[in-house]
Amino acid sequence: MSEDGMTDLQEEELDRADLIHSEGGHVLSLMDATIKFGGLTAVNKVSFDLSRGDLFGLIGPNGAGKTTCFNLITGVYKPTSGEILFHGKSVAGMKPNQIAHLGICRTFQNIRLFGALSSLENVVVGGFLRHKTPLLSSLLLMPSAVTETAELREKAMHLLEVMNLADDAHTRSRDLPYGKQRRLEIARAMATDPSLILLDEPAAGMNPQEKEELSTTVRRIRDEFNKTVLLIEHDMRFVMGLCEKIVVLDHGEEIAAGGPDEVRNDPKVIEAYLGEAV
Amino acid sequence: MDLFSPHLLAESGINFSTLPSQLVNGLLLGSIYALIALGYTMVYGVLRLINFAHGEVFMLGAYTSLFVAWKQGFGQGVSPDQMPQGSWGLLIGMMIISMLVCAIIGVIIEFVAYRPMRNQSRIAALITAIGISLLLQYGGQLFLPAEPPPSISEKVLPDSIQGSYTMNLKKAPPQLVADLDAAKTKLQEIKDRLVERTTAMGISEFGLPDDDPDRVAKLETQDLVNRLNPQVEEQSIAIIVPKGQLVMFGTVVMLMGILWWLVMFTKTGRAMRAAAHDFESASLMGINVNRVVVITFIIGSALAGAGAMMNAVFIRTPLTPFYGFMPGVKAFVAAVLGGIGNIPGAVLGGLVMGIAESLIVWVGYSEYKDAIAFVILIVVLMFRPGGLLGSSKVEKV
Amino acid sequence: MASVTADSPVKPGAFWGTRLLSIVLALAFCFGIGAMEGSIPPFAFRILVLAGLYVTLSVSLNLINGITGQFSIGHAAFYQVGAYVTGFLTINYFDGQPLTAIPWLVIMMIAGAAGAGIVGLMVGLPSLRLRGDYLAIVTLGFGEIISIVTRNQKALGGSYGMQIEPKIQAPWLVWLLAIICIAVCRNLIKTAHGLPFLAVREDEVASSAMGVNTTKTKVTAFVIGSAFAGAAGALYGHFESFITPDMFKMEVSFIILTMVVIGGTGSITGSTLAALFLFGLPEWLRTLKGADGNALQIPAPQVIAALFGVVVFVACARWVRDRYHEKGMKLAGAYGSAVGIAVVASLLFRPLAALIPSMAETSWEINSLRMVIFAVTLVVVMLLRPEGVLGHHEFSWAWLRSLFNKKNKEVQA
Ligand SMILES: Nc1ncnc2c1ncn2[C@@H]1O[C@H](COP(=O)(O)OP(=O)(O)O)[C@@H](O)[C@H]1O
Ligand SMILES: [Mg+2]
Repeated sequence: MSEDGMTDLQEEELDRADLIHSEGGHVLSLMDATIKFGGLTAVNKVSFDLSRGDLFGLIGPNGAGKTTCFNLITGVYKPTSGEILFHGKSVAGMKPNQIAHLGICRTFQNIRLFGALSSLENVVVGGFLRHKTPLLSSLLLMPSAVTETAELREKAMHLLEVMNLADDAHTRSRDLPYGKQRRLEIARAMATDPSLILLDEPAAGMNPQEKEELSTTVRRIRDEFNKTVLLIEHDMRFVMGLCEKIVVLDHGEEIAAGGPDEVRNDPKVIEAYLGEAV
Repeated sequence: MDLFSPHLLAESGINFSTLPSQLVNGLLLGSIYALIALGYTMVYGVLRLINFAHGEVFMLGAYTSLFVAWKQGFGQGVSPDQMPQGSWGLLIGMMIISMLVCAIIGVIIEFVAYRPMRNQSRIAALITAIGISLLLQYGGQLFLPAEPPPSISEKVLPDSIQGSYTMNLKKAPPQLVADLDAAKTKLQEIKDRLVERTTAMGISEFGLPDDDPDRVAKLETQDLVNRLNPQVEEQSIAIIVPKGQLVMFGTVVMLMGILWWLVMFTKTGRAMRAAAHDFESASLMGINVNRVVVITFIIGSALAGAGAMMNAVFIRTPLTPFYGFMPGVKAFVAAVLGGIGNIPGAVLGGLVMGIAESLIVWVGYSEYKDAIAFVILIVVLMFRPGGLLGSSKVEKV
Repeated sequence: MASVTADSPVKPGAFWGTRLLSIVLALAFCFGIGAMEGSIPPFAFRILVLAGLYVTLSVSLNLINGITGQFSIGHAAFYQVGAYVTGFLTINYFDGQPLTAIPWLVIMMIAGAAGAGIVGLMVGLPSLRLRGDYLAIVTLGFGEIISIVTRNQKALGGSYGMQIEPKIQAPWLVWLLAIICIAVCRNLIKTAHGLPFLAVREDEVASSAMGVNTTKTKVTAFVIGSAFAGAAGALYGHFESFITPDMFKMEVSFIILTMVVIGGTGSITGSTLAALFLFGLPEWLRTLKGADGNALQIPAPQVIAALFGVVVFVACARWVRDRYHEKGMKLAGAYGSAVGIAVVASLLFRPLAALIPSMAETSWEINSLRMVIFAVTLVVVMLLRPEGVLGHHEFSWAWLRSLFNKKNKEVQA
């Protein structure tokens, strides 16, 4: 009861390898994904596909259902109807932690760091899901557990460097400034070694210069770390400059999809954003 | 195995003729739980805090009533014949004073312990509540009379509500009743005769020879009565309720009516509902949430005070400083059972709790009657965490 | 002091040396405790043993409450399960088996841990769906159910109690258990394996998004925590040799909870020190004698005045905390003044308290103030420092070294 057996883990690892190496198919496919909260249909028959290496944008006015889409993909909510495939395998109805093991990880719009833990520890939590030593060896402080801890910390430190947070490694994450918290969330998600990473409004609350840096980082994540990226963002310039494909949601419905230029000139999109500054 | 064979039922202590009476008892007890549960549910609704000290407010209310009664000449040392006449005025006075004292205590607790914790984590606030509850219990042990546990004399009731009210649901067959009556009369006659004879002879009954016809007849008739009595009891169904408890029930219903009106039809009530719905937004919309919280504590604690007074006077459980703990926990379970934050739910939950408890007693497991509350709680939380009338909300991420 | 794990990870190098030294020291300490028997008064020795049990209880509850953030307030129930399970086994099976007393006690300790662990699993499972305050009530309820059931089981002695024969006392084992409990919890949070536990405490949604199986983590914490309490119960039962349901009342749960909360939720050092202090203080108070040689009596007005002083202190200290923005000595001075004002207020209030009818002649035995002291401490700590005295900090050698280094630097400068 107290420990995940090695066999479980190895199986999972195999599953994951199978999934990722199943070439050709889409990384993620939403097929008519729908969820209702009582009378409110927050996401209504949304369908789109992500291919490997995509830098994909999900936009729409406030309350359009973007975050809810993320919640469906990561298993926080179960879709009322429709399918969600990850590398061709259905993940609808799976637990969030199972989905994370398969290789989807996310950040949160309303930052959800482990406030009392240091930046480094936050990232180690992310990396922990690939751990191998059993709990007992940690409780007895066996050398294997000590070595593994050191390794995880080293990897985490590396990610912090990538996200330019190395100086704050030992700061409580609660005490970090807002922009750094957002970057730390990305580092933590990266630590789970996902093949698909979901970023929920990563640039919110950042100044133009920080946004510029973030753009570069997101590209790096895709190019150097070979991740597929799906991101939600309100800043149109940011999205249009970064994403190659975009889906637009409004009132839970998909109203447009395509490249940045296509979407920008779509009358429905303009209408949906009327009243909001585009 | 035949589970319902009369033999087994009798062995397990189940007796259907007492069921209606027990159900009514449960309902009456449940009405008190409901009254306390309202306080929990209202505070939880507004502050999302389990007011652990609510049971202690209840306890202090009961002691207040006790002290008022003592002051009015119903003290412990006073013999019943020297006590003054009970009256409605006294009862109403006890209730109002108890409600007032409880309201004040509730507000003090809110002010010194809960308000400073408003911005802290919910767990920190809960720990504070537990601390206050312990402080009142063990502090009460120092200051309040507890050995032997005092209780309020029955004499405080006015004559018109002394004694109990019997309602016959089903009478035993007339023949049987007549037989029993005849046997009883005969027994009395024989006893009288025996007394007459023995006093004349200056000896006790046992001075007579064993085969004296009167003594033999007495034993036989006694046997007959003993045989008929349970038969009559089993075949007749009656509900016996102390009259006071009927008054209590009426009062509870009235108080709930007033609360309903307060919450649904007054401006304050609307503010309370708004704060319960969304505390932050309510305060942004210009509702004085501090005032709402204080009023919530006043109402909740006053209801507990009324419940405490009635529990002490009409149900007459002896008082100790720990007297509020179990009713408090049960009322909390009632609130959760009905759906915490939901006012009709608290009433329903309270009644269900009371009835469940008396059913446990009825089937002969009275020693487990305090455990049943927790069993219900665990089952509800596992299968319907939102309670009977509430809905469980999914956390927004 | 160091924050939880980050700044003092275990280093793979110099590992076995430190380790061996720690183990030897621990064993020597336990042996030392055992050797004290007979050389200190029996009541002092008894307190020493019970303190060890409370350390185990408080540190193990801290694993559930402080480290994993699952608010359990029924820890005495697991303690009780351990005591009763092993009491039952010893009564029925000790005779006629080949083991001598001490090995048998070790086995009983394991059995108690297993029994309580299973019960912990049963409590942990429903708790998965519950958060915070609901869980608190459910754990309280489980405790009560266990207590009520015990009271009504003839085989367990009912409410009268159970006589455990033979009585097996092994004080060194009590302290060994405490040290093992501390070591296990400390190892957990010193290695990466502890982080999921802390993450669950901080944010369940985020931790499951990071792949943490929150269910398993919570249940694991419950099982380990209650197993340690069960082991402690086994030792307690055999030490006292007569157990009654009253020895595991809700009161005991609240005492353990107070220790964890005051020590600092999540801080093992805090739980340990708080257990020693909160257990020791009332026991020490109990030994105080009045002028007449009987237990010390405290006049009621004095108690009331002291309570008043506490209220004044809390008000002043909160003011300092929230409004006074100086640091260092000035801040210390401000808190010092708060204490001073409180003492003066208390002294001034005393004659007033004596005016309360019937209070002037009343006095209480110090022992009856025990729970009041706990309750007041609990509330005061919450109002002034909700994270507990030590917060999330831990004692570590590195911290001690850094203190010395700082001193050295100051000396050089
Ligand atoms: N758990 C929930 N319960 C009820 N309604 C929800 C829940 N989660 C989201 N919603 C609703 O779904 C709609 C879409 O929300 P969201 O996905 O957060 O929008 P956004 O596109 O701004 O991220 C909103 O109206 C929101 O109130
Ligand atoms: Mg959103």
